[in-house]
Amino acid sequence: MTDPAPIPPAVGNAATGPRARYKRKLSNYLLDKRLQLRYVLVVTILSGLIAGALGYLIYKQSADASASIENSMKSDIFANMQDFTDKINSNLQSGDQMLVYKMIGAGIGLVIILSLYLVIMTHKVAGPLFKVSMYFDRMADGRLTVVTPLRKGDMLQDFYQSFQETHDAIRARAKADVETMDKALVALRDQQNQADYRGEQRQKLVDALDGLEQHLTDRKKKLADR
Amino acid sequence: MTGQPPQGNRGYKRSWKNLLINKRYQLRFTLFMVGLSTLLMAGLGFWVMRVANDATEVAKADILGTQCDPPSAFEGQETDLDEEPDLDEAPAVPMKLEGEKAPVPPPPGDADGSAGDEGDVDEDGSDAGSGKPRRKIDVILDDMEVPAPAPIEIKVPKVRDGLKAEIIDHHICRMGIPASLDKLETRRLQILLVLIASGLVLVFGLAVYGIKMTHKVAGPLFKVGLYLAKMRDGRFDKVYNLRKGDQLVDFYEHFKVAHAGVVKMQKDDIDRAKAVIAAAEAAGAGEHAAVAELRTLVARKEKSLD
Repeated sequence: MTDPAPIPPAVGNAATGPRARYKRKLSNYLLDKRLQLRYVLVVTILSGLIAGALGYLIYKQSADASASIENSMKSDIFANMQDFTDKINSNLQSGDQMLVYKMIGAGIGLVIILSLYLVIMTHKVAGPLFKVSMYFDRMADGRLTVVTPLRKGDMLQDFYQSFQETHDAIRARAKADVETMDKALVALRDQQNQADYRGEQRQKLVDALDGLEQHLTDRKKKLADR
Repeated sequence: MTGQPPQGNRGYKRSWKNLLINKRYQLRFTLFMVGLSTLLMAGLGFWVMRVANDATEVAKADILGTQCDPPSAFEGQETDLDEEPDLDEAPAVPMKLEGEKAPVPPPPGDADGSAGDEGDVDEDGSDAGSGKPRRKIDVILDDMEVPAPAPIEIKVPKVRDGLKAEIIDHHICRMGIPASLDKLETRRLQILLVLIASGLVLVFGLAVYGIKMTHKVAGPLFKVGLYLAKMRDGRFDKVYNLRKGDQLVDFYEHFKVAHAGVVKMQKDDIDRAKAVIAAAEAAGAGEHAAVAELRTLVARKEKSLD
């Protein structure tokens, strides 16, 4: 899988969560080259083999028929019709040649259309995986932002929904933990100010509460909607 | 999930029972492949059969137009070897059949035939029955010269060299026509059967291959899905490696990094909370309600990492 690029800044309204949807572009259709090209290659090679084998059969049958006609025209009946037989033979040969060209053209067309179609089709699988990978990278950094839905037509909707639910649950739990720690911080600050703590123990508590405050500030930033 | 975790890798083996993990994804891709191949086979197969039929018809016409010229049996004489001999027109051959008696000419004698009466004859020639003296016939043997028959001259036409081979060739040619036609029909049927058989093999083979191939993608997704379900419930177990041959290895690495990031978040929270708890306890505020809440939080987070 290709390395996921960082998600560009959101375009839509941050408060509402989902940002403006990305549209499909030809330039980024090959998101997961290994996965997509493997499938494309398998199907294309297979189709090429079928078309090649059957095309050869067709050509052979046609060439056999032409050869049969050419042989029958070598008999004495056509001895005095050299021009006629030459013309017929020429037509038969050009017909066979045209058949080969037609089949090669059809084969190339098939491979091109099939490859494009398969790239588009596999993109609908690679797209969600790419998107989830980017969210995974954010999670690795502790950033739990809002997960936007997939584009219309994407596959792996069930998997993505499962991921989204997990992501939202972790995010909600992290927010709840932040809130709990925030309340504890405020309460202990009050306690610190009200009680007559002195000396080293007081400084240690102050340092610990400052550290917790900094930690919560960072965490809140990472839990922001965007 | 069972088994020992050797070096972060649990050796689940693939089994036929759970090949279809993600039916929608797997069947969609497999059916597309199978459907496409079937269409190709059917379309091109139809084309093949059409051309094969044309070629067979041409070959048949060519064979039916084959001239099996009869060889001339004798020099300067054309013989139709195919003509059946007409036995009715053959000259009648006089022959004496067994049991058939040739007509016996009447013996020379009286007109009334008295001389031919039956009866015993004495040695002296008298008729013993009637007592009448019998007439005597004197036979005079005379040497006759039978002229020798003239030698019969049989005219045998001169046979050409290689006539036998030509006759054999002619009959082979004649008999070869229906045989060749049968051969052509058999060949056409063979093409059709081969097309059908290869089409069926292709469809079944592709179906199995497609499911196995997509299973290597669906497998990692299924595994990630299981871990996601655990994470949703607040459990952050150890993440094991994929099986050999699985695809989406990079995607799985992203997941492992994300899992590790979430675990780190929990550990950071625990460290910060523990530091505050320790400082509060040292300062004499260990019994504060806020500290108790922090202890609960730490306990829950530590349990989630077990």
